[in-house]
Amino acid sequence: MTELSDELLVAYVDGQLARKQIRAVDKVLEQDDVLGARADALKHAHARLEAAFEAILAGEEADVSAAKLVDEEDGFWVPWRTFKFVVASAGLIAALGLAALGYGWPVSAPGLGSAPQFELPVTPQPSNAN
Amino acid sequence: MQATDHYDSVRPGLVAMLPRLKRFADVLAADRAAGRSLLARALQYMLAQQYLYQRGTALDVWAYSELYRQWRHELSSQSEPIAQARVDDKRFGALFHIDEDNYLDAPVIAFLGGLPPQQRLTLLLVYGDGFEHEDAARILDVTPETIAARLVRMSAALTDRLSARPPAQAAAIVETLYPEGLEASQ
Repeated sequence: MTELSDELLVAYVDGQLARKQIRAVDKVLEQDDVLGARADALKHAHARLEAAFEAILAGEEADVSAAKLVDEEDGFWVPWRTFKFVVASAGLIAALGLAALGYGWPVSAPGLGSAPQFELPVTPQPSNAN
Repeated sequence: MQATDHYDSVRPGLVAMLPRLKRFADVLAADRAAGRSLLARALQYMLAQQYLYQRGTALDVWAYSELYRQWRHELSSQSEPIAQARVDDKRFGALFHIDEDNYLDAPVIAFLGGLPPQQRLTLLLVYGDGFEHEDAARILDVTPETIAARLVRMSAALTDRLSARPPAQAAAIVETLYPEGLEASQ
């Protein structure tokens, strides 16, 4: 049996070795069934660790999604999102209706009606004449 | 204003990585309630001190480092730090989400629950988050050689436990709670 430490095997399984080293380990593993089985067992253990950590993350993400859903569905009688949509639509329709009836914003631009007229109060200048 | 610039960049980044931060804190504390509480305090500190974040460095590495630093800081003020790190198996098991198949990897969970927090985090950072050894070392304030040594020890121990091979000697997987500056040289 060839001597190959766990240190080297873990580095091999984790992809931490240089290309030359990987090729050398590959050759050894092809010829040595015991070492091949050990490398497979290490890979399997790492895969189970990854899956376990993924299971924690899945729980955390489910928590965040649930919190978002509650936030979005929050409201008095109807969800806030629906309420905001209805109010915005009603405002838009009212604005269009008023504009159609001639209640638009006053426009003052050259050629589009007269500019607002302001009359400045004229105060008589005090005369210096004696 | 400089603080506002940093606020704009750090806060959304932290929000985006919230599930991962929660997982890190939960695995560190080995308990959801304690993890959330630790994360809340660490996030407050991070947002208050965000000017310390240097643009160009990975935000997750910075945030994890700060979270870990917060935990160590709080641990150092405890009269019995080792008692604080004791794991309640039930609470630790509750961190793992059960999928549709109702499957829970009990041997792996028991193995992780039996590890000291630093070793649990080493596995999480490398196999859960996919960090390079250098980044994991930066987060846990140790050398990359220490990370590699921990991975070898724990991988061998877990593999032995999952297979029929006799387990590694207990002394080989024991580690202290405190920073291991000398560990890599041993």
